[in-house]
Amino acid sequence: MISIKRFAYEPGEHELEKASNSYVMSLVAIIGGLPFPIINLIATLAFYVGNRKGTYYVRWHCMQALLSQFSVFLVNTVGFWWTISVILGYESVSNQYIAYLLTILVFNAAEFLGTIFTAIKARKGVHVEWWFYGDLTNLICKP
Amino acid sequence: MRKLIIQGTGMVAVFLFTWFALSEVDWMSIFKVEQITKATEEKLGKTIWDWFNHSEKEIRDSEIFNTVDSLLTKVCASNDIYRDQVELHIVSNEEVNAFALPGNHLVIYSGLINSSENESELCGVIAHELAHIKMEHVMKKLVKEVGLSVVISMSTGNNGGEIVKEAAKLLSSTAYDRKLEKEADLMAVDYLINAGIEPRHFADFLSRLSESQPEIESHFAWISTHPDSQKRADYINSYREGQPQEVVAVLANGTWMRLKENINNLDDNF
Repeated sequence: MISIKRFAYEPGEHELEKASNSYVMSLVAIIGGLPFPIINLIATLAFYVGNRKGTYYVRWHCMQALLSQFSVFLVNTVGFWWTISVILGYESVSNQYIAYLLTILVFNAAEFLGTIFTAIKARKGVHVEWWFYGDLTNLICKP
Repeated sequence: MRKLIIQGTGMVAVFLFTWFALSEVDWMSIFKVEQITKATEEKLGKTIWDWFNHSEKEIRDSEIFNTVDSLLTKVCASNDIYRDQVELHIVSNEEVNAFALPGNHLVIYSGLINSSENESELCGVIAHELAHIKMEHVMKKLVKEVGLSVVISMSTGNNGGEIVKEAAKLLSSTAYDRKLEKEADLMAVDYLINAGIEPRHFADFLSRLSESQPEIESHFAWISTHPDSQKRADYINSYREGQPQEVVAVLANGTWMRLKENINNLDDNF
């Protein structure tokens, strides 16, 4: 799911910190915005926009962090509104609902651990590409 | 690009497979969701009924109770509903009203019995309220109107009298939304047909009370809070049409008239 690859060039010390921070940003946002999934996405998007004129290495990692956040945002949003419907009495608690919550819990946990790992590696200058998101980032983010 | 599409599809497939695999587990039993929900409803129902019991006078006359109970039992028995699960309360109040409370409490006002011209009309209202109970409309309405936190707070005993009073008023004097009312009406027709009771009488009851004089409409809570009564009567009649039915009498000859006399005598005493 996660692979270590050689980046197009050797990033400098100042780039490593910013690239690592893009993941740290999404981690902080996950903790802060757990009940409201949009907060995670907005925080990561804000960080990306702030660094869109940064170096290729920084932009690349900001983009990977943003894309991974987007899919988590989608599944979490469904879970959020489903929960609201249950709270308001439009839907009942069911095996499917509990299974969905557990599934997004597993995916969020995987994303969370992957993010910590990548943040540490990015800080050390190790270029980590995620399965699917890495290729997607390569497609979108050009030097 | 092809690799990307395969990876994306694979990721979605893994997500859906995990969800569907986990859905096969009976989480409802593991987390005892139904038992907890039932216990909460029962506690809530008791709290709200206790409030009514203090402010209203419940009729304990055995002849009145047994007659109405016979009608309720007939509707329940013909529709696989355990009669013991439903708690029937007949309240002395001239308002034409009947409503369901959480925990399967069914409350019928003497005014509604008085306004019914025959047993089938009363059975129609009973079937309608039973449908609300069976389709869990009561809790849905309560949660929607007062909020889940307030409902939980009431069921855990941390309830202010004002909140219980508001919940009681809400359940006794406001209608469910149109969709839920229609669902309950149509299910009531099914219940009546299964019980061998002519649903047209239920429609007649709605039509008649909707034509009531405006000055006495305030007494017809069950009608004035249920909008478009004539429209309801119409769709009940059209839903009923074409459905085969064998009509049977629930009460013995003269029992219905005796019930109304007993209710009238009670009203005279208050």
